[in-house]
Amino acid sequence: MVAPLLELQNIAKSFPGVRALNDVNFTLERGEICTLAGENGAGKSTLLAILGGSLVPDHGSVIIDGIRRAHFSPRQALAEGVKIAHQEPAIVPQLTVEQNLLLGRTSRQRREAAADIDQALADVAQMGFPLNAKAPVQGLSPAQRHALTIARAMAFGAKIVALDEPTTSMLEHNVEGVLTRVREIAHTRGVGIIYVSHKMPEVMSVSDKVVVLRDGTVNYTTAIRQTSEQDIVRNMVGRELLAFKRQHPMQPNAPVIFSASDVTHPTGVKPLSLDARAGEVVGIAGLVGSGRTEFLRAIIRADKGSTGTVRIDGKKRKIRSPRDSRNAGIAFIPEERKHQGLVLQVPAYANVALTADRQFNGLGPLISRRKQIAAAEEAAARMSLRPANVRLNARQFSGGNQQKIVIAKWTWRNTKVFLFDEPTKGVDVGGKVEIYELIDALAHAGSAVIVVSSDLPEIISLSDRVKVMRQGQFVSEHTGDDINEHSLVANAMGIAERTTT
Amino acid sequence: MSQPTLPKHDAGEHDPKTVNQQQDATAKPRTRPTLNLQALGIYIAAVVIFLIFGMLNGNFLTAGNLRDIAISASVNAIIGLGITFVVITGGIDLAVGSIASFVGIVSATLMVNAGTSPFLALLAGIALGLVCGALNGVLITKLKLPPFIATLGTMSIYQGCAYVVTNGRPVYNVPKDFVFMLNSYIGGVPVAVILVAVLAALCWLLLRRTVFGQNVIATGGSEETAWLSGVRVDRVKIAVYALSGMLAGVGGLVIVARINAAQTDAGSPYLLTAIASAVIGGANLMGGEGRIAGTLVGALILGALTNGLVLLNVPSFYEQIVTGLVVVIAVALDQGSKGWPMMKKRSREKSEKKEVTA
Repeated sequence: MVAPLLELQNIAKSFPGVRALNDVNFTLERGEICTLAGENGAGKSTLLAILGGSLVPDHGSVIIDGIRRAHFSPRQALAEGVKIAHQEPAIVPQLTVEQNLLLGRTSRQRREAAADIDQALADVAQMGFPLNAKAPVQGLSPAQRHALTIARAMAFGAKIVALDEPTTSMLEHNVEGVLTRVREIAHTRGVGIIYVSHKMPEVMSVSDKVVVLRDGTVNYTTAIRQTSEQDIVRNMVGRELLAFKRQHPMQPNAPVIFSASDVTHPTGVKPLSLDARAGEVVGIAGLVGSGRTEFLRAIIRADKGSTGTVRIDGKKRKIRSPRDSRNAGIAFIPEERKHQGLVLQVPAYANVALTADRQFNGLGPLISRRKQIAAAEEAAARMSLRPANVRLNARQFSGGNQQKIVIAKWTWRNTKVFLFDEPTKGVDVGGKVEIYELIDALAHAGSAVIVVSSDLPEIISLSDRVKVMRQGQFVSEHTGDDINEHSLVANAMGIAERTTT
Repeated sequence: MSQPTLPKHDAGEHDPKTVNQQQDATAKPRTRPTLNLQALGIYIAAVVIFLIFGMLNGNFLTAGNLRDIAISASVNAIIGLGITFVVITGGIDLAVGSIASFVGIVSATLMVNAGTSPFLALLAGIALGLVCGALNGVLITKLKLPPFIATLGTMSIYQGCAYVVTNGRPVYNVPKDFVFMLNSYIGGVPVAVILVAVLAALCWLLLRRTVFGQNVIATGGSEETAWLSGVRVDRVKIAVYALSGMLAGVGGLVIVARINAAQTDAGSPYLLTAIASAVIGGANLMGGEGRIAGTLVGALILGALTNGLVLLNVPSFYEQIVTGLVVVIAVALDQGSKGWPMMKKRSREKSEKKEVTA
């Protein structure tokens, strides 16, 4: 029997504190299109990175055409014909279509590449995007760029191609053309394709096989003919819940203290409104890219061109900048802690004082370090910051403790509303529970808390109420028993309407 | 798409409690010395340079010569102080030399041709420097020009203005009172040196002991963090360039007093040496780092090199080579303490122990 085109055997990969992949086995035949499905954080990216040679697995092996590849570097991967088309098109806008197709090739290879170029251009044309080889990529639409990326990945003797969310920027009718061409190429040239997408109808129409990853293991493998959207989703969800339960759920008749209406963001958040009560934790679930972060940033006016009205305690507050939102009592704890939440090279206490004007001043215009340190130490003690030394630079703390410093920037102020974006990203399990307890304590103290998270167990165990976002809109609201992984994922992916009535 | 989470530390397996207690006990003594060592390096280098020149030439370490060095370093120091603020925000100010020339020529013209009193001319000069600098800040924040480009443009504009004021002619016979204000001695100490000391003390207070200063450092460390924390980043930047322009203006006035005349391009040689002073003193062009005292020492080192090489009868052409070498070596040493591959391995082991699990 002929060896399969690609075989991954017992692949395992751990990052400090996180086991990303655990004993993954996977085969791909020539001409086969296999969908790789899974929630955010299930291990898809890690698996693609290992396939592309940019990550080295801790255990297990990559076998291509029956030959075991030991030290698989990105260069070797390319030489073997393993191509990965990333979600963000990796093309140089200043170069022409042709130059982009030739990128990374020596001048000798370029001279021999004429046939491949023609083939790639023909492929793009058949996808529904006729492109001029000499046209600069700058003028192309995102959809055209994606199509170009796909064609480039399929050209030049590709054997195994991974397409990561290739259709996000495309319209319905374009998607069909692209998928048809992808199928043709796979079948006529015997290319094995790994397809990653959250769009279930596409997955059902394009793939031969589906592999569902959950918590870093293969949870479900089946031929596409023998499964349904519902089965796939059911196998994606159900991650282990952390042993965390809110100690202080919201009091039923708490007053609405935060209300945002007609919030828009220039990147395409439709006018959205959201209220939150004192002591309430509102979760916002949704796929990455659904506009959740932008919604939070629009509330505090972090980006130019956002609009919306914000009321605190029923009073309209004029907010034109993060400074206004800070002074109105709104805190934003961003996703990228190291770049957006902290100044790494200054002490923890100076970070805490970053949200201050004159509150820590001593003599006249001079600040009092003693006051800053005292305020930071008080917050540190309450949150059991470790190490408890607030004179250490922010850089020297671990992820979870850095997050506590970011939260401490806001707790010393009279902050009524906390907007969290991925509050436990890069935080290990013990640290997560501590952050959850802090969020619970903030709500218990009467603040309204809004949590955006891709970690469904996190949203489920924290929230009194969950809103699901899709393509810049709230598509559903969940309370009580309706807050479960299945209904959240179904709504986030947009397959709820057709399956549950 | 999902991203694997990649915490940089490795402490998952340890019992957090025990690690933390160790950390609590050792944290303080461990960080303090490293911080001081980095700052100390430049002081040690300065002392070594002074001693070497002192040994090579007996006249170098005499009181009179040291005073000359201090005077010659004063303009670099004053302009360098402003540059330090700009560099801490992650920017650069190439216009300082032109502003110094422009301010010098305008103030001198006011005194000599318009008969303005020296004190008013001084104030007008300082105000002009401030406006020129603020304009740089506005170009950078409101028109979103990269600092290099914006100040490259205004460098040429302000220099041109300086030529236009007097049609390129120098202004001689600056009033005695003016010269007396900035180029005399109080108890044997040159006024320029006292001025540097006062300005440096004020700058230090401004940088380390005011909200503004903390915002300057935060803006350079992470502009997005500062912005999301409610810092008015644009205002901070405009203020920093205004400060730089103002100090450049003061520098220009000191030059006028020293040579008793205003030359249309008197300030231009100080552009690169003032930046060099700040960089030798530990200012990081990537932003977030810089030291007032370091800049002063940087200016002193450059002054000592010029002076010492002259005393040793080294042709003046070599001076630039030596200055360049000092800049390269100083920055290389600073980088080396942070991130040369060889030294990195050792420091990484240390820092991994330092970080503690949540």
